[in-house]
Amino acid sequence: MFLLIGCASYPVQNGFEPKSDSPKKTSNPYFSNARKDYVYKAKIDAFNRSFGGIFIVKKLGAEHHRIAFTTEIGNTIFDFTFKGDDFRVNRILKDLDRKVLINILKRDFKALTQEHSPVKKNFVLNTENILQTDILSKKHYFYYNDEQLNKIVRVDRNKEKVEFTFTNIDNQFAKQIEIAHHNFKLHIALKAFK
Amino acid sequence: MHKILFLLFFISISAIAQKEMTPTEAVALKTKVKTRAEAISTVMSEFTQYKHLDFLSDDIVSQGKLAFKVPNLVKWEYTEPFAYSVLFKNETLFINDDGNKSNMDVGSNKIFKQLNQLITASIRGDMFDDNEFNIKYFKINDSSLVYFLPKDEQFSKFIKAFHLTFNANGDVIEVKMIEPSDDYTHIKFTDRVVNKTLSDAVFTE
Repeated sequence: MFLLIGCASYPVQNGFEPKSDSPKKTSNPYFSNARKDYVYKAKIDAFNRSFGGIFIVKKLGAEHHRIAFTTEIGNTIFDFTFKGDDFRVNRILKDLDRKVLINILKRDFKALTQEHSPVKKNFVLNTENILQTDILSKKHYFYYNDEQLNKIVRVDRNKEKVEFTFTNIDNQFAKQIEIAHHNFKLHIALKAFK
Repeated sequence: MHKILFLLFFISISAIAQKEMTPTEAVALKTKVKTRAEAISTVMSEFTQYKHLDFLSDDIVSQGKLAFKVPNLVKWEYTEPFAYSVLFKNETLFINDDGNKSNMDVGSNKIFKQLNQLITASIRGDMFDDNEFNIKYFKINDSSLVYFLPKDEQFSKFIKAFHLTFNANGDVIEVKMIEPSDDYTHIKFTDRVVNKTLSDAVFTE
């Protein structure tokens, strides 16, 4: 029985019901306003160390975001650009300049900010509508309640790997965001400045 | 065209306003600041911090309080829009992030060690070390503006320059830390109180 569940697909494990009519694209409105500076106080727990900082997202155009992380006093820790399929490291502290870490952050922030992505499958679970899509070749499930996005889950080999939750939502602005990794110790908590 | 004229106007204004000091004037400023720094035992001040990132529409503004006690106790406490404090004490950096406490051995980290020394020195206005910095002196009306360009290559990748503004009394009223990308943090001090008794309790972790 456990083996069967272990091998079952993520939608089956979670009792999702397939749905036929589906939107063509996912929609994530939380970093979609180019007139807004998205500024968050961040708390990062990584590999048994905890540190804080300021997390900043700016939409600069269609499919174009700049994402930076600074210390409270303002020194830049990292600064990335996402533009279409391109990804650029503008700056990263030498101590953190590791390919593995940059790839983790790239995957997380791409999933966090990508506004639209083609829908592969559509499901329902109770009151929630769930859209399956691929971001950087990994399966992602977007959970909507009343058309409001409140969770994104990255799934690999039928297992939940990363969970993005959006809470305290005010007019398409998620004031609290959490990114939790399940396969290693990395947890990012973001709280909006205002 | 209007933009160019506007720009030229401001460049010429700033050229008039900001004038390089003569060597004699620079020595006089150093002496004034050092004399003043030597007479300081404690400093308390409010501060407003403006983080400028070129790609943002507005600077990120935060506010807080600073406490300093000789020889090297420093506490930065942000109060708005978040609660966060950093205490430099006995070669250790104690962090209180909205109730979550942690610490870091500054002694083992050269960057933080230098940052601490600079913060301490800049609060006291006593950072005129020609071995550590290339220093340039300017005057703007009654106040002085001094550029400190770190000589240490590793450190200059972190902070390209410190610009300190001193008022006519020789107190630091503004600090600007410029990153290699030209983004900067601009800190303005207000309500500065010098030599008021500060209990050690202010500096407990």
